[in-house]
This record gives sequence, structure tokens and C-alpha cells, in this order.
Amino acid sequence: MSSNLPVLLFLVPFVMGVSMPLLTAKRRSWCPNITLGTFGVMLLLSIANLRVVLAQGSIEYAFGGWAAPIGIAWLNDSIAAIVVLIMSLVAVITQIYGRLDIAKDLEKSIPYYTLILIMVSGLVGVIFAADLFNVFVFLEVVALTGYALVGAAGGKGLVYAFRYLLLGSFGASLYLLGLGHLYVATGTLNMEDLAVRLPELMTSTAVAGGLIYIFLGLSIKMALIPLHSWLPDAYANAPSSVTPLLASTVTKVSLVAWIRIEYSIIAPGVEVSHVPVVVLLEELGVIAALIGGALALIQTNLKRMFAYGGISHIGLILIGVSLGNTTGFAGGMFYLINDAVMQASLFMIAGTLIYYHGVHTLEDLRGVGRQSPWLTGALVVAAVAMVGLPPTGGFFGKWNIILGALEAQHYLAAFTVVASTLLTLAYFLKIFSCWFHQPQHATSEPLVVSNALRFSLGAISFSMIALGLMSDTIFQFLIESITTGGV
Amino acid sequence: MIRPHDSAIVRTLGHIVIPIAQLFGIYVLVFGQHGPGGGFVGGVIIAASMILGILIFGIDSPDSVLARKILHGDGLGLLIFAGVGGLCLIGGGQFLNYSYLQIPSLDEASQHYVGILLTQIGVAVDVAVTGVSIAVSLSFEEDEIPNDEVTNV
Repeated sequence: MSSNLPVLLFLVPFVMGVSMPLLTAKRRSWCPNITLGTFGVMLLLSIANLRVVLAQGSIEYAFGGWAAPIGIAWLNDSIAAIVVLIMSLVAVITQIYGRLDIAKDLEKSIPYYTLILIMVSGLVGVIFAADLFNVFVFLEVVALTGYALVGAAGGKGLVYAFRYLLLGSFGASLYLLGLGHLYVATGTLNMEDLAVRLPELMTSTAVAGGLIYIFLGLSIKMALIPLHSWLPDAYANAPSSVTPLLASTVTKVSLVAWIRIEYSIIAPGVEVSHVPVVVLLEELGVIAALIGGALALIQTNLKRMFAYGGISHIGLILIGVSLGNTTGFAGGMFYLINDAVMQASLFMIAGTLIYYHGVHTLEDLRGVGRQSPWLTGALVVAAVAMVGLPPTGGFFGKWNIILGALEAQHYLAAFTVVASTLLTLAYFLKIFSCWFHQPQHATSEPLVVSNALRFSLGAISFSMIALGLMSDTIFQFLIESITTGGV
Repeated sequence: MIRPHDSAIVRTLGHIVIPIAQLFGIYVLVFGQHGPGGGFVGGVIIAASMILGILIFGIDSPDSVLARKILHGDGLGLLIFAGVGGLCLIGGGQFLNYSYLQIPSLDEASQHYVGILLTQIGVAVDVAVTGVSIAVSLSFEEDEIPNDEVTNV
């Protein structure tokens, strides 16, 4: 049974999502509990899956017993195992948080919970898929449910959800177009198979064009600057209860899909007409990290500021994985895992601020720090992780990206990581200067927050520190996956 | 908003064509095992026949009772598909590996036959439901947003 864990991880949220209307038709108040229970089961399954991968190395899962390249395969390797584990953890914590901070009309809405569960099953599919077309299908599952969730609160969110839909569909079309190019050139879409056939075809403009289309499509999905414009408005207006989950998973999983494609198809050192491909990607990462950080600095709305912070981190991760050495790769992947947790934490804090204090902008923040010690603690830990100080995971990720950049002698990349750290520090200083400011009104009593909220904030802060403490083990585990071949 | 058609020719022809179309849809679904066809195409044909019924007789007429009922069966096809896959998992094989399909007293060839047929039925149900619900929501559901709100955003 242990070899079936990837498909079970997919089926559990999928089947529960589909049968949600049947299970809860009579008792709508069960919806949040069933969702939470499903995520709990996923967490246990993903821990079991990690143990299997640790014991047996990467495993290919052949659907219907047909091995790739004839059949459809999923690859259960160390990257997939660890990303799925972190994703399930984030899903559990954000669901505990989401039960508190939920709009009245969504609280008992069956479609809302169905969408969340199906989105999570799509995320699992993207992470495991070892086939370009499967990646496309699951990305669309994630995207379609994502559009609906962004618009779930109604009002202004609908407009931004529609913009997200237009841009996302454009990205999906570009991806599909690129996929067509590769299929015509090679006759296969299995990543392992493509890795064998593509290198000798790299001089063909059709293949290069196809890869560019795929990258453009995915960079809309992962909100890489300059194709990020859908993200800040969509997340700033989405329902607070689901934004942490969206922000921490959707863009990151698209990036994971790209990393798999980059590492299985574009080997480091591949050149298209004398231009090394991965260096180009790294430069795009540099641009995204710097501009994203600068844009975050000028925001006044908290949610938008955090969203731009996430956009700049996408750039950092892209730098790390495109350096072409294992240190940089492990650093980038580790930072991706951390970023998922950090984004969840930040958007949970922003959501709580809106819910309890009605705080939307930096101006409204004044004096909040005196009222909520739990929020202050969570924000301090999140800020330490975002800026990148030990012992949080953020430090070890950035440190390894810098080491990788120095190893590859790409000094611009190393400079960018440091500069983006400074930008992050700058916008957190802006937040803290308001946070601990003298309150405008003298009505500050300590706020009573519920235990579940304390638990979710504490758990997410603890996981940031725990990731830092376990960084060495995780690095070894991630490096193993590229030295043993398949990513 | 679609209203029932009052032409006698259209209504009589509808009574003749719709059952034939549905029968043909089921034929295409089952024939998919041996030749061109299968769940998706069969489901589309069945959906088309139901949409034709809605266009001719209206959604509230007794002739469209199946179309009204099927709108509630959104996830049924997916559950059939996942259920067949799950039976294979329980049997010890991979997802959708029909050689391990746990249905008693079947040899391996019949296991594959039944497994594929059941998943195709799941696909057909889902495609039919989706087709009908797209048609219904495009033609019968009112705009939920009042006009003044649309102009504001």
C-alpha cells in the first residue's frame, strides 16, 4: 500500500471535495470540520510518504500499471515529498485559522469548501506529475478553483478575480502552445523521455520557442515580474480566510512545476545560439527580486505589501535554482518551502488584523502592538524569517543561495540577495514603526483572541523556526534528489 | 430565458428525435470499447439530446424531468471514476490497474472490460451533467448583481 501514497494524497481531498454536497446537504455546519479532517488525513499521509521516500529513494508511480513513457507516470521524489508535506501542514493550519476569520455568507457555503478541497488536490497533482500535459491539467484545476476562491467574497474581489482569470487563461494557453511545439518536435510529453530527446534538438527554433512559451505561461502563474500584475489586487481582495492558503501554495507550486521542467529538460550549461539559458533565467530572477522588494516598500495596504514581498521571493527562488550548482539549487528549494510557510503566516496576520482591528493600511496600524501580544509575537517571527536571520529557515535558504552564487561567480546574484534582504528589512521597519507607535485613540485594552487563533499563529511561527533548525537535514535530502538523477 | 416552443412540427419531431439521440449516445458510449467513441463523446450526445428537450419543451415540462434531476448529480461521474480506481487500489494494484479490480467472479479480460466500461460511464455522466448545467445556467439563471452595482465597480 505504501507505494500508492501519492495517488491517495490526491484522492483524499478530491473525493471529499466532490462528495461534500452529499455529506453535508443536511448538516451544513459539518463543512469546516470535514475540510479540516481531510487536511489532517493528508498531513498524516504525507508524513508517511516522506518516510517511504527517505527509505526507498524516488519512486515512479505508473497509473493503471502502464509504465512511462507509454502510460502516465507520477514521480514521487524528495522534492515532491517535502513540498507536499509542507503544503499539507500549511493547509491544516490555515484551515484552523480560516474557521475563525470567515465571512458569514461563506461559513456554511458548500461550494466554498468544495473549491478549497479540489484546489488542494490539484496542487498535489502538479507536484507529483512527471508529464507536461498532466502538469497543465492540474495547473488548470488549481487556477480555475483559485479564480472562484478569489471572487468568493463578491464585491470588488470579483473584478480582480476576472482579471486573474483573463491573465491566467492567457498563461495556460501559452503553456499549451509550448507543449504543442515540444510534442511535434519529439513525439513525447513525459519529462524523463523529453530529457533524453531534447538536448540534441536545442538548436531548433521550434523547441526553443516552445520552451519560451512554457516559461512565459508558467511565469504568469507564478507571478514573476513583469507578469505579476494580477496577484496583489487578487490577494488583497480575496476572502481573508482563504488568502493564506492561496498565497502560500498557488504561485509556489507553479514554480515547482517550472523547476521540474528546468531540471529535467534544460540541463545546466545548455545554450540556445550561444546564450546560456539558465543565466537568462537568473537575470529574470534578479529583476523580480529587486523590483518586487522596491514595490513592496512603497505600498500602504498591508496585504498588498505582503503580496509584493512574496513576488520578490519568487525572484530569489528562481535565482537559487538557476545558478547551476547543487548549493544554489538546494538553497532555492529550501527557500521555496520556507516562503510557503512565511506567506501563510503573513496573510494570517493581515487577516486577523482586519478581523479584530479593522486594520487595512499602515496608517490604521498605530498602536495595535500594545493590544495583541500573540499577533506581535507572530509578526516578529515572520519578520525575522522574511528578513532572513537565524535561527529561522529564511536565513539558511538565503545563505545557501548566496554561497551558490559565489560558487558560480555570479556576483550580481549574490548582491541581489543581499539587496533584497535590505529591502525586506526596510518594509518591515515601516510596519514595526507603526506597530509600536503610540495609539491614536486611548482605548487600548488587551484583546482576547481565541485559543484556536493562538494555536494557528503559534504553530506557523514554530514551523518557521523548526525549518531553520532542521535545515541541514533537509538540504542533504534535497541535494540527494538532484545528484541521483531525476528531479 | 428560453420559452417552450409551440410549433406542432417541432414538438412532434422532438418526441421522435430525442429518444433516438439518447439511444445513439448510449450506443457510442458502449461502442467506445471496440471503435471510435467512448465516454466523452457519448456524454456530449446525451447532453445535446437533453438540451434539445429543454429548448423544445422548456425546463419545467414533464419531458425534461431527467435534465432537471441530472443537475443535482454533479459529482456522481467523478465518484464512479474514483470508485473504480479505488477498487483497483484495494485489490493491491495501482490506481486504475484493472487487473486488480475487485469484482468477484470475473476473469482478467472481463475485469478490464468492466473496469473500462464503468470509468467510461463515469466520464459520460459527468460530461452530460456539465453540458446540461452550462446550458441551463446560460439561459435560465438571473443576474445576481443589481445593475447599479455593476456600474460602480
